[in-house]
Amino acid sequence: MGDSYRVTISEEANADRSITKKRKGVKKDMDELKKEVPITEHKMSVEEVCGRFETDAARGLTVAKAAEFLARDGPNALTPPPTTPEWLKFCRQLFGGFALLLWTGAALCFAAYTVQVFSEDEPAPDNLYLGVVLSAVVFITGCFSYFQEAKSSKIMESFRNMVPQQALVIRDGEKVQINAEQVVLGDLIEVKGGDRIPADIRVVSAHGCKVDNSSLTGESEPQGRSPDCTHDNPLETRNVAFFSTNCVEGSARGLVVATGDRTVMGRIATLTSGLETGQTPIAREIAHFIHIITAVAVFLGVTFFAVAKALGYTWLEAVIFLIGIIVANVPEGLLATVTVCLTLTAKRMAKKNCLVKNLEAVETLGSTSTICSDKTGTLTQNKMTVAHMWFDGRIHDADTTEDQSGAAFDKSSPTWLSLARVAALCNRAEFKAGQDALPVQKRDVAGDASETALLKCVEGLCGSVRAMRESNALLAEIPFNSTNKYQLSVHETEDPADGRHLLVMKGAPERILERCSTVLLQGKEQPMDGATKEAFQRAYLELGGLGERVLGFCHLLLPEDRYPHGFPFDADDVNFPTEDLCFVGLVSMIDPPRAAVPDAVAKCRSAGIKVIMVTGDHPITAKAIARGVGIISQKSETVEDIAARLGVPVDQVDPTLVVACVVTGAELKDMSAERLDWVLREHKEIVFARTSPQQKLLIVEGCQRQGAIVAVTGDGVNDAPALKRADIGVAMGISGSDVSKQAADMILLDDNFASIVTGVEEGRLIFDNLKKSIAYTLTSNIPEITPFLLFILLSVPLPLGTITILCIDLGTDMVPAISLAYEQAESDIMKQPPRNPKNDKLVNERLISMAYGQIGMIQALAGFFSYCVIHAENGFLPALLPGLRVLWDDRGVNDLQDSYGQQWTYEQRKILEFTTHTAFFVSIVVVQWADLIICKTRRNSVFQQGMRNRVLLFGLFFETALAAFLSYTPGMGVALRMYPLKYTWWFCALPYSLLIFAYDELRKLLIRRNPGGWVEKETYY
Amino acid sequence: MSGGKEDEENDRKEHKGSWGDFFWNPRTQEMMGRTFKSWGLILLFYTVFYAFLGGMFVLTMYVMLLTLDEYKPTWQDRLTTPGMMIRPRGESLEIFYNLQDTETWDRYVQTLDNFLKPYDNSIQVQNNDNCIPDQYFIQEDSGEVRNNPKRACQFNRTMLDFCSGLDDRYYGYQEGRPCIIIKLNRVIGMLPGRDGQSPYITCASKREGVTLGPIQFYPPNGSLNLMYYPYYGSKAQINYTQPLVAVKFLNVTMNKELSVECRINSNTLVTGNQRDKFAGRISFKLRISA
Repeated sequence: MGDSYRVTISEEANADRSITKKRKGVKKDMDELKKEVPITEHKMSVEEVCGRFETDAARGLTVAKAAEFLARDGPNALTPPPTTPEWLKFCRQLFGGFALLLWTGAALCFAAYTVQVFSEDEPAPDNLYLGVVLSAVVFITGCFSYFQEAKSSKIMESFRNMVPQQALVIRDGEKVQINAEQVVLGDLIEVKGGDRIPADIRVVSAHGCKVDNSSLTGESEPQGRSPDCTHDNPLETRNVAFFSTNCVEGSARGLVVATGDRTVMGRIATLTSGLETGQTPIAREIAHFIHIITAVAVFLGVTFFAVAKALGYTWLEAVIFLIGIIVANVPEGLLATVTVCLTLTAKRMAKKNCLVKNLEAVETLGSTSTICSDKTGTLTQNKMTVAHMWFDGRIHDADTTEDQSGAAFDKSSPTWLSLARVAALCNRAEFKAGQDALPVQKRDVAGDASETALLKCVEGLCGSVRAMRESNALLAEIPFNSTNKYQLSVHETEDPADGRHLLVMKGAPERILERCSTVLLQGKEQPMDGATKEAFQRAYLELGGLGERVLGFCHLLLPEDRYPHGFPFDADDVNFPTEDLCFVGLVSMIDPPRAAVPDAVAKCRSAGIKVIMVTGDHPITAKAIARGVGIISQKSETVEDIAARLGVPVDQVDPTLVVACVVTGAELKDMSAERLDWVLREHKEIVFARTSPQQKLLIVEGCQRQGAIVAVTGDGVNDAPALKRADIGVAMGISGSDVSKQAADMILLDDNFASIVTGVEEGRLIFDNLKKSIAYTLTSNIPEITPFLLFILLSVPLPLGTITILCIDLGTDMVPAISLAYEQAESDIMKQPPRNPKNDKLVNERLISMAYGQIGMIQALAGFFSYCVIHAENGFLPALLPGLRVLWDDRGVNDLQDSYGQQWTYEQRKILEFTTHTAFFVSIVVVQWADLIICKTRRNSVFQQGMRNRVLLFGLFFETALAAFLSYTPGMGVALRMYPLKYTWWFCALPYSLLIFAYDELRKLLIRRNPGGWVEKETYY
Repeated sequence: MSGGKEDEENDRKEHKGSWGDFFWNPRTQEMMGRTFKSWGLILLFYTVFYAFLGGMFVLTMYVMLLTLDEYKPTWQDRLTTPGMMIRPRGESLEIFYNLQDTETWDRYVQTLDNFLKPYDNSIQVQNNDNCIPDQYFIQEDSGEVRNNPKRACQFNRTMLDFCSGLDDRYYGYQEGRPCIIIKLNRVIGMLPGRDGQSPYITCASKREGVTLGPIQFYPPNGSLNLMYYPYYGSKAQINYTQPLVAVKFLNVTMNKELSVECRINSNTLVTGNQRDKFAGRISFKLRISA
């Protein structure tokens, strides 16, 4: 344990200041955090601490004092992050981004209707209807996404530990079990193995106490606790235990020195909830989209306002036209489409164990260009496992996979049997009862992490350890302590005829070697020579270099003549030899990577995503795991590696040559922001070790300064600030701490890092598919607007009414648009780099040009053709239509003459008009068939892509069926003013539909033939 | 995400600075984000594209027009019940005037004068035939050979008698006994009666208990003689004269608004369409102030 922690915590200020462009809120939080850091009690004597809190190290607080403190300091609980009230969450859904556009549209409609009410005798209710429908759409979609997110948070709630935590306190000299919230400053507390520590405590006495600080510091090994102050830094010293960490074994008593939000954990939680999160990438894209749409709408509106004025319309009419055109540009159905698409993806991801808390975050992983991953518990299993063994002069690999599917080594060597025997006997860990049915790796164990690892290893490879221990009865034992650094026990041998005793010992390898004079090779004892020692040193260094914790093992068969059966072995006054033993081997342990991680990291790599490890653990371990999972690839070397290989000092290595680097927290705190940027920019493979929670935040911000979209994965409290600040925070569902889950946007329910790859894939796919969906939806905007424009310009009878427009936007277009969310990727999206958020927009000018300028125009012509056909076939030839509007819309004219001399009443020609609306509507459906098929792909031909998307086929069927239903159902004439069409009228738009298909296939062919050519530059969206 | 925000701010600042550059950027020779060449290409593309679309539209329209019959529209199912209309029609079918104030009724008189001008006997005799009454004037084409132009029957203004405006120049408006002319909309091929029975028009008050007083129809019985049917369309039957019925209110209660509904009575036409208030019937209001 280095002193890096102290520096990072206490000198955070420097690092903080060096990042100059930091937001004020964060700075304030950081300052606050810093101010509260000094836990000084660890440097005081127990008496001083007692004095400070008016307590007693033996009898604890008096009940009265405790009550007084409780009243003064409040309960010992973390202030829950300021929860947004439900109505506010709901309002956010109602008024966010896209919804605002629709509200504006609705407001304009109501405004136009009000104007009409005051200026016309019989105002057409269209604007009123439209306003109501727009409001309803926003409201319903708002409710939908609100409930969707509420569902996610409900799943979140279920994670939370509902059992109130208990604490054992000593008050007035009596032990009482109280609710952890009632614990106050100065309370004397007793914790034992398995307890959660209820507050920050200064240890006054301890018996083999070890705590698991992994959620706070990222170290996977439990740390011993004792009453002595071993370090100035409160996080490093052994006499302080922290709120919400776990005591894994032993017991301790301590005085509470901080409670609730004032604990170290509480400060991180406060910092986290104080951080502001920015917009999600998809929210930014939608904002950009709204800009474009608004610009187009206002441009069209103003242009036609001017034209209308020039044509001699009154101001009032022109204003109503202006509003009408602006509102007609609002894609009513798109909000719902986008929401449903995101929801579908969220559901699909939830099925693959990615729970998304915020709908918009669904896409974020797809845009992610950098993943900052925590190590412990995220990349690794967070449990010590035997990784290697050295015996017979060779290193053997042990199986570290979670399901024991890895390679096995040759177990026939007698040396291995001896080693296994030592490891099993000289071991106090035991399986908890009643787990015989479970696989070895899954069983719960009472005991120290490394002994647990040894126990599981031996049990897995050699069978029942209990049987072995029973046949080798324990006679004497010297437990591990920090002075002699070994553990020893004496046993009977398994052969009852053999009267000898077996002495087994394990401990720090160099200490064990010192005590040995012989070595076991191929089961035979041989004298220890220089070569063996050298081999030992090499193996020890190699294993240490892998970041593994190494233990040495030796044994000795005590001669029967001097230590006969019944010899009284005395562990306190050692009456047996502890020197000249026989060295058996080394066993090394590590917290191994999860099985799926290396593959996942490789996939992220090939998807152009930079994976950075950010951990609180030691650099050597971090680097070893980084190599193990491929964060540092096999060929890459760090500056230190090169220096070691070439035998030159580190500063002589050209830093521009290396792609990998390991940066420690201590180095990080001396770095300027520019230097950090340089490190992040110039290295492809980066490991940050010994970092504090605040530094994790700096790293995330550094990456974001590079323009990267950053995902952070983590499970500990120390990751929480970074999780919150990241564009998307990914927490672990099973092992993750509550604080980290609270801060994250996405939760991996199975703790499997590989699920991130799924997330990336789904995110990228939904981005592509949303593009297609929007292109599809926007296209029909043109055939919806142009009728109104011609109505103004040429004074023709209105070709398409408000109701039919709504039937398209909220009816026939909906299912096909949503079905595009089910479209398969055109190419291997995981082999492409992440999109560049600056250039690769969801909706760009090219998409608008294609949808509005090209496909939309063909669609509009199809509609107008149907319109002309119906008018002509009923007697109004096209030449008659321009200028007809005034008489046509006059209720008093009931003898309007058509091209054949027939006369029409108002109602008769209105039915004809609504029939043309229906036909225009049907034409749009027919051309949208082709549009849907061409929107399936952006580059490939439909013939390459295929028509396997069943939802899309259903969409085609659905829109056609709905159109037929709306047209032919009796009573529709009254309800929606839609009338049955002659069957031939369905075919009017067909040539245009074929044209759309042929045109777009040609366009895509040109794009494929000439990559980077003019067609691609102007039309590839 | 402070980085992101700052970037956006910077972008915005740059944007402001380059607002002028957007219109004309001298460094890149770009106008509104494109070079002249790029503008030229895209405009050329769109010109060609739209020209092609225009051509396609014209082509489809041409093909469609080829399928149409010159003399008769393809569909007439919206015109099964012909509409009815009155002259003069006034503001939204209200005929309100003041006996004392000449100007209030003079415009009605002028409307009728203009409307009836083509019915002058001289014109009718010159253009149209004197047909056999009470039977359809059928002029079928023989196969592909068009029997055009088709003749039309005379409807002489004098047939309206007291409402012809010939004897009484003011159509009775001056003395509070106004004439209102009712016509049935033209529909090609419509046969409004069977068995030699011509359809006829009746009028009644829409309000119960209010009577219209005595009314007189011209031609007698308010009938529309079968000889004016069928209609062959404006192209084949250029001089077609629409038959009229005039209704004269003989004793209108002064200063009282009358709601009048007139309807066609025919043994072939279906009337009673609830939605269309002008199909086979017409309602109008009449008030004469003294």
